[in-house]
Amino acid sequence: MSSRVADAGVEAPAAHPSPSRLVPWFAALAAYAVPIWFVLAPMALFLGYSFFSVDKGNIVFTPTVANYVRFFTDPVFLPIFWRTCLLCLAVAVLCVLFAFPVAYFLTTLRGRRRYVLLVLLLVPLLMSYVIKIYAVRSILGGNGMLNRALLATGLIDKPSMLFVFNLNAVLLTLTVLLIPFAVLPIFLSLERIPKALRHASADLGASNAQTFWRVTVPLSLPGTLSAMSFVFVLAIGDFLTPQMVGGQSGFTFGRIIYSQFGTAFNWPFGAALSVILAAVVIIAIRLGGRVESSRGRIQ
Amino acid sequence: MNEAGVLLKLRSVSKSYGATAILHDIDLDVRDGEFITILGPSGSGKTTILRLIGGFTKPSGGEILLDGRDIAAMPINQRPFNTVFQDYALFPHLTVEGNVGYGLAVRGTPRAEIAKRVADALELVQLGPLGKRFPAQLSGGQRQRVALARAIICRPRLILLDEPLAALDVELRRHMQSFLKSIQTEIRTTFLFVTHDQEEAIAMADRICVMNGGRIQQIGSPHEVYYRPSCEFVAKFFGENNLIPGTLGPTDGKTRSIDTAAGRVICAVDGQPDMAAAPEGSPAFAVCRPEAVTIGDDAAGENRFPVSIGQVAFAGASTMATATALDDPGLSLKARMPSRPGGASLRPGDTVTFVVPASTCRLVPA
Amino acid sequence: MRLADRIAPALLVLMTLFVFILLYGPLMVPIVSSFFTVSHGAVDWSQPTTSAYVALAANEGVLNALWTTLVVGSGAVVCSVVLGTGIALYYTSPNAKGRGFLQFIIFLPFLMPPIITGLALLIFFRQVEFERSLVTIIIGHTVFVLALVYRTILTRLQSLSGSLVEASYDLGASRWQTFRLVLLPNLSSAMVGAAVLAFALSFDETMITLLVTGTQSTLPVRLWAMMRLGFTPDINALVALVLLFTTALCLIAVRFLMPKSAVAGSDED
Repeated sequence: MSSRVADAGVEAPAAHPSPSRLVPWFAALAAYAVPIWFVLAPMALFLGYSFFSVDKGNIVFTPTVANYVRFFTDPVFLPIFWRTCLLCLAVAVLCVLFAFPVAYFLTTLRGRRRYVLLVLLLVPLLMSYVIKIYAVRSILGGNGMLNRALLATGLIDKPSMLFVFNLNAVLLTLTVLLIPFAVLPIFLSLERIPKALRHASADLGASNAQTFWRVTVPLSLPGTLSAMSFVFVLAIGDFLTPQMVGGQSGFTFGRIIYSQFGTAFNWPFGAALSVILAAVVIIAIRLGGRVESSRGRIQ
Repeated sequence: MNEAGVLLKLRSVSKSYGATAILHDIDLDVRDGEFITILGPSGSGKTTILRLIGGFTKPSGGEILLDGRDIAAMPINQRPFNTVFQDYALFPHLTVEGNVGYGLAVRGTPRAEIAKRVADALELVQLGPLGKRFPAQLSGGQRQRVALARAIICRPRLILLDEPLAALDVELRRHMQSFLKSIQTEIRTTFLFVTHDQEEAIAMADRICVMNGGRIQQIGSPHEVYYRPSCEFVAKFFGENNLIPGTLGPTDGKTRSIDTAAGRVICAVDGQPDMAAAPEGSPAFAVCRPEAVTIGDDAAGENRFPVSIGQVAFAGASTMATATALDDPGLSLKARMPSRPGGASLRPGDTVTFVVPASTCRLVPA
Repeated sequence: MRLADRIAPALLVLMTLFVFILLYGPLMVPIVSSFFTVSHGAVDWSQPTTSAYVALAANEGVLNALWTTLVVGSGAVVCSVVLGTGIALYYTSPNAKGRGFLQFIIFLPFLMPPIITGLALLIFFRQVEFERSLVTIIIGHTVFVLALVYRTILTRLQSLSGSLVEASYDLGASRWQTFRLVLLPNLSSAMVGAAVLAFALSFDETMITLLVTGTQSTLPVRLWAMMRLGFTPDINALVALVLLFTTALCLIAVRFLMPKSAVAGSDED
């Protein structure tokens, strides 16, 4: 294995000709084996499954587009799909609204302080996702911290049900969970703006606000958009959060897919729904990366 | 209190970062309409002067006076100055037109007027057809012109140029030098140009301010700083020079003698009251340019140095002879003469006389 | 006139503070309440106690889950670092074929929602009649963390000067010697950092695990099952311990991956 690695990694100088012409092929085979067998093959199979059907608990391996037809014609799935997209878009917008000022604040700090704060913002990324959902739920619940705080301040006189086991709760939880994902790309794009550009703007007579809106915001747009697409993709693929805090009314697309592999036991239909999810994700990623390539870049 | 013709005055301006002093006690007048160059090696504080005037940093001490008023606390965006940045600092998300019109747009100028003035400015810098391009699509020289157009469009009273030609290759740099100079003549705006390139400074400036170690060494016309240096640093900074150490002798007001190991040398002191007044016996250098040296016994001139030729170097248009003074083997002298198709008549080892007229010889304090 | 310029920084600080409260505040609730008892859904604040932690130490299910998590994590780390290093070396080798395609496959599970990766593997394992077990979880986790590990090592590899390898050959080293004596020492800190990061990701991975697991449950899956029942001191104690552990992992990863200049602090002007 190890000598294979060495063969693959470094260019053989002319003085050390390859012992055999087979070596590159062997190296390629070794490098490709696992990704193809455990990533590409399952994904391809998955795509194939979406064209099968199920009959009395057995999968029928005859190609059909019935699953897709069902998705687009059934009165249940399409509305939930759109609602989920809208929900995740709202999460993305909220995350950016919170993350932008934080990222901007980070760029105003210098040296060590900046990176310590950045690390503190990113630490929650590696914290257990399940635990974070649980923690937020303990705040949102009917008897949770938020309700008790609101009661204590006298803003409401009985526990509010606005954010208990419904889509609002999903929205709030996902936002809190995903803010750090939005901070990083925005911070990176803000950090890449040369200070000279802001100086040049002020030099040409712009006020701080004008510099912010005319220089900083447009130049951070690629980062902001990739932050949005990042958050959107993470939110739309999540089925744990809606399940934990969404209750009966907080039904999302991810939950429907998951249920096809559990209670509903219709794998081909679940696969078809997942293919649609994948399509949405690909579109979101594309949109997020678009601006970067079409506009002038900072050298 | 404002003297006629002076736009900006720096009075005992200093700048330090913590314990590190970058600028000491800078006094500088920028005259209305002139092309002034701040010249110095890297770390001499030249860019700091520009940044202080532009408002990008605040002075630690002293005053920067515009129309007699101290502008040290004036925000960048209210100063009637515009800057051409070293790396141009063009806004990558705006087109050439967007960049050039930026200063007008932030002042709320009507669109029609912006369009007209942008077109005029682009015409002036000969970039007329490139208005719709983005900076990333331009060459170095074109970006340079956009930066210039962007700086002049608001009709500032002073344009600050921070080594704007440093990133260009030699040929383009020569071209841009004369281009910048012609633009400056055309729009009659004061240019303050920072560079580390002596030839560039001499080629463009009306006046040169030579900096070293955070202090001004000399301010004068290119001709003055070249032929009449005020100190050893300036004497050595512009190309080849001969410096002959000695002690000052008596003066008649127009010339002064200096006693060196190679004999007594007579130097002109007109226009140099400091050197004329310095006490006798104080150490100094006699300074003369290699091109002021003529070779041969029959040449006319007060100062004559018998020398032994060491090296003869052909450098295209001219040929440089390096020689050792017979009276002082520690003293090396250089003479530059026009090259001849047949080759130099001098050979290493030849014994000849270097002749320097007193009028081309100057004194600087040691 | 300058009022806006004064308010804006203050607003920024407030917003940042608020976001920090949003991120860390909720986590404090289970941590703090883990030291108290809960009765009838309400926390009894009168008496701090560590009884929840003691109970945890005797909880077989949790201990088994912890063991499973560690085995899965170690397995995934070893597989992904070996694979990631190998593929990164292959990617930088001059006669590599289809670099973009290879990279695309590796990034797929990272770009696609975990539910898709998990479901694809689930169908795949069933189709090839591969019993779901610890091994399937390890495969799932390896595939998931591979992109990050590969990327980290590739970045380091590309930052090494090509002349380093040439110099080694020039001095007479063989390929294997060059790998062992020149490349490996230069890659080691990136590999360790990537390993820690991979372990942290594997430690928390829930969605893929839920789908590809057989009868075993990892800690997050176990937590997930427990949490659906409600808010109890056991869970809170477990949550507190897991948070402590992941935070420590993060800090270690940061130490290995953070550019030295950033840690030292770079002040200009």
